[in-house]
Amino acid sequence: MFDKAVTYGSIWEFLDSQTVSGEQKWVLSAIQKHGQELITMLWRILGNEQDVCDAYQDTFLQLAHFEGCRKPNNIKAYVFSTANNIAISMLRRKIAERNRIARSVPGKDDEHSPYKELDSKFLQENLRECIARLPEHMRSVIVLRDLAELSYTQISSILKISKGTARVYRCKAIQLLAVWMSKEE
Amino acid sequence: MAWLKIKKENTCSSKTKESRSNQCRKNRQRFVSFLSSHFSVDSPWVQNHIAHCPKCQSRLAAIGRVNLALSLIKSQSHNLDLLMRANTQTINVLKHGLREAPKAQELKSIKPEPKLAKRVFWCVQPSLNVAACFLILFLLKCGIFTSMDKLQTNGKKAYKQYYASQLGEDMAEELFPSDLS
Repeated sequence: MFDKAVTYGSIWEFLDSQTVSGEQKWVLSAIQKHGQELITMLWRILGNEQDVCDAYQDTFLQLAHFEGCRKPNNIKAYVFSTANNIAISMLRRKIAERNRIARSVPGKDDEHSPYKELDSKFLQENLRECIARLPEHMRSVIVLRDLAELSYTQISSILKISKGTARVYRCKAIQLLAVWMSKEE
Repeated sequence: MAWLKIKKENTCSSKTKESRSNQCRKNRQRFVSFLSSHFSVDSPWVQNHIAHCPKCQSRLAAIGRVNLALSLIKSQSHNLDLLMRANTQTINVLKHGLREAPKAQELKSIKPEPKLAKRVFWCVQPSLNVAACFLILFLLKCGIFTSMDKLQTNGKKAYKQYYASQLGEDMAEELFPSDLS
């Protein structure tokens, strides 16, 4: 009797593990399919490897727990939108922290020199800050087009907008970024 | 018979539809090429305007700065093992069943691979280089470079004659040393 219970128990465990992996196998497939593109996009948004790993982990955890472990209709759209939102929130937090530190250290805020204009790191950080300030519809397009290097067709299916609209949003975003970046010099 | 007639009409209408859509596509392409040739940044009147308009100059410079920053961000590469580390970190927090799946073990040791287009380009570029080398060898064999030399020498002679007539023999001799004459 005991033996039988053990056998049933192990069978149950086996079946349980099989159903879990069977039900959510698509999560691993999603990691395999979109992982590389996602890493590239997150790296370009955040510029820090540990932050990239954290954002990547959060994205796939959210995917695995989407509406009671249900598979979203468009996994790519879900993954890219979620990763984009997570990365931008992290970036905003980082910028706020940096500004707080800069305010607390006197004389660090007004370090504007002509050399900075040519400093690649300054340019990159400046652009990241400006991207984080963009309105959501423009930011999503610029991130997906310029940082994730997706085509307008892919962007239109992810954001559920037409290709023309995506192009217009990108154009407006570039104009806004140009104005903000030249003001901040 | 009537059925055949209807079918014929249907095929005709589908053909006209197709030709119309082709015409439409052609017109659109013509329109786009017309716009890009007349209103692109490279068109002469735009260039001329930019040369004299400080506002446009500053706008273009600002957009150029954004593009430069974007290309700088794109040019920064991460460590090759970043994908592997991120996958390991992610898989470790997933459910037990998923963690133990064979695919998960594969993902933990995955490395980034270039896209198909880049891989193709990777093969295309060396072959183009080889083709360019062969072309140069072929040109050498054909003696094109010899005739190019002759052409250059004749050109220099013509220049020397012109300078001799304009500035005098001495100056021409100074500018173009004697080995040419």
